Amino acid sequence: MSQTSSTGVQPRTQTPRLGWLSRPRSFTDSRRFFLFFMAAPAVLYVLIVGVWPLAQGFWYSFFRYNLIRPARTKFIGLDNYIAIFEDRGARQAILNTFQFTLTSVSLQLFFGFCLAMLLWRDSRFNRIALAFLLIPATITPLVVGLIYKALLGADYGLIGYYLANAGIGPRTGLLTDSGTALWVLILIDCWEWTPLMALILLAGLKSLPADVLEAGRADGATAWQRFTLIVLPLMLPSIFLALVLRTMDAFRVFDSVFVTTGGGPNDATNTLMVLAVKEGLQFFNIGYASAIGNITILFIACMAAVLLLVVRRADVRINGK
Amino acid sequence: MTKIANFRLSKTTSVLGASLLALLATTAYGQDKPLAGVTLTLASQNDQFGAVLAKLAPEFKEATGADLKVEIMDYGTLLTKTTADFVGDTKGYDLVTMDIVWAGAYAENQYSVDLTDWVKRDAAELELDDIYPVILESLGQYDGKYVAFPFAAYANVLAYRKDLFEAAGLDVPKTMEEMVADAKTLTDPAKNQYGFVANGQMGAAVAQDWMQYNSQMGGSILGADGMPALNSPENVKSLAVYKELFADTAPPGAIEYDWGGREESFRQGIAAMMQTWSVGAPGYSDPAISNVVGKVGIATAPVGEGVAPEYGVGGWGMAINADVDAKQQEAAWTFIKWLVSKPIHKEFNLDGAGSFMRISQMTDPDLLAKFDFLPVIATTYENGNGDYRPRIPEYPEIQDILGSAVNAVLSGAVEPQAALDEAQAKAEELF
Repeated sequence: MSQTSSTGVQPRTQTPRLGWLSRPRSFTDSRRFFLFFMAAPAVLYVLIVGVWPLAQGFWYSFFRYNLIRPARTKFIGLDNYIAIFEDRGARQAILNTFQFTLTSVSLQLFFGFCLAMLLWRDSRFNRIALAFLLIPATITPLVVGLIYKALLGADYGLIGYYLANAGIGPRTGLLTDSGTALWVLILIDCWEWTPLMALILLAGLKSLPADVLEAGRADGATAWQRFTLIVLPLMLPSIFLALVLRTMDAFRVFDSVFVTTGGGPNDATNTLMVLAVKEGLQFFNIGYASAIGNITILFIACMAAVLLLVVRRADVRINGK
Repeated sequence: MTKIANFRLSKTTSVLGASLLALLATTAYGQDKPLAGVTLTLASQNDQFGAVLAKLAPEFKEATGADLKVEIMDYGTLLTKTTADFVGDTKGYDLVTMDIVWAGAYAENQYSVDLTDWVKRDAAELELDDIYPVILESLGQYDGKYVAFPFAAYANVLAYRKDLFEAAGLDVPKTMEEMVADAKTLTDPAKNQYGFVANGQMGAAVAQDWMQYNSQMGGSILGADGMPALNSPENVKSLAVYKELFADTAPPGAIEYDWGGREESFRQGIAAMMQTWSVGAPGYSDPAISNVVGKVGIATAPVGEGVAPEYGVGGWGMAINADVDAKQQEAAWTFIKWLVSKPIHKEFNLDGAGSFMRISQMTDPDLLAKFDFLPVIATTYENGNGDYRPRIPEYPEIQDILGSAVNAVLSGAVEPQAALDEAQAKAEELF
């Protein structure tokens, strides 16, 4: 029997079955397919260097797992997490990390905003001043820590020697006293990162609609009213961005603490990252260090969520949307 | 017939001929140099010996044909990198300088080659009788097996300022009680002059120095049962004295000093007395780094009244990575034997390694001419104790626990009894 149809049109030749690759696709499908392959290397990279270690860290945190004592490896459920909250030093590290983050980021926001307001007007002086102000942010925190340690040393420090001789602060130096050490670290962090905060906020200020500000002025609003009723509400997205970036960064503070105080004295400056590095890289206590890392991630995620909520609510209250 | 005068080698033939000659030369060289073509990588602590090891590398190549790459790093980095190399089986290092206190961990985890049979086989070549028994035992052995071979021994000694002691009419302290009294007498903050200096920095620095003083005052980290006894009455008392010494007689910044800071303060002339490892002693007479040239005396460390004279011994052994293949292991052993051989080890010390360990070195005229304190080191080794810091697998954690506790006491944040009680509770969890 002939395969030619009565209309004389040849039936489409059956393509060999090659699976889903050979299926006819629409333009949208092809585009999606193409985009997927374009993204695949990046996705693979993130899976390998981001997701996989994260998952492994999560898994290890349920084990007593020390690289130096592999024979003693044992599944212990949530014991590593319980141990963190039972240990005085680790509890202190959590408190210190929160105190450090909240205080330093708040101070940086306040002074950063002040700096941004001062530099708002576009002038040559302001541009030059901004460039100089950003110098601290270009120095790696480890070096900043070493510089301040050298400056504040009671025996040879350019600042510490005179402070100790003048009887200001503890005799052994500001970084060696449990009452002052954390505050010094907070100030060091502020010195380094306030200019960055100012830069982010300045970018926000520069993008404010000039007509709205002009309208406010024309309507006779005072400077304070213009700041609280126009500038602040419009700046909320920039403030949120600056806060989230700095909060995440400050919460995982490590370098400056490690080289100045090492977490001491008496855990007064111990932070979660210092603790994790000590447990993981000094004692190779991988299970416990993983648990500390996971708790840090959880805290950072919670703080970001809280920040988002606060800013949303403020946005609704101020802008009414 | 081709005339000889007209015989000319083609270019290819010339190259082949030259290559053959070069190959023959290499073979001959290889026969002369049994380790030709071998490269040994050594992870070294950045003590004085590190630079000298690197300096000796060409000489080792000349003797054996092997290349020696020396990677020098600080204490923490050395521990982290080598441990990672061992546990990851990455064979990054053939040879590792092993601190005396890591022996337990090395033995328990079999990180290094057990050298016991090789040491027995080559005993005559190593001239074991010429090495102090305390050094052989504590710098190399653990439970009777050689996990490393000693190459850099240090004696804990008292470095003191002869000029200040003479001016004050004081004799060199023989007991800890005399040392505390002298330190107070020699302290005058108005002149930026302090009687004593020791490590105060949190971590290994303060822990190791305090363990030394603690041992001299009759304290002990482990009890008779081998379990931690950190809060024993003797330890609490010695920590209280240590705190008093820091508060009344040490430079204000001493609480931040590690070994380098402590030595620096002594060389700068701020401190009158310091217990230290003998390895630092050559530096006091070096005008490039010292303000106290010719003013420093070295004596045996004081001990507590009624405590049997036992002096601290420390230092480093050379371990061979158990993961590397047999050929590398044997080459590494050749290097160790070469390094500790009498002439090379003498040269090693003359070059400033400060790592004396052979009995014959203590009376060697060349060494004595340069290092007049060798008799003090000899006395220390003859009555040496290498176990005042327990060389057990749990030592790194115990050291860290003590490092935090002692530093907290020195900072005034907590009292000795409370700090050592908490430290004891933490240490017990390790066992």
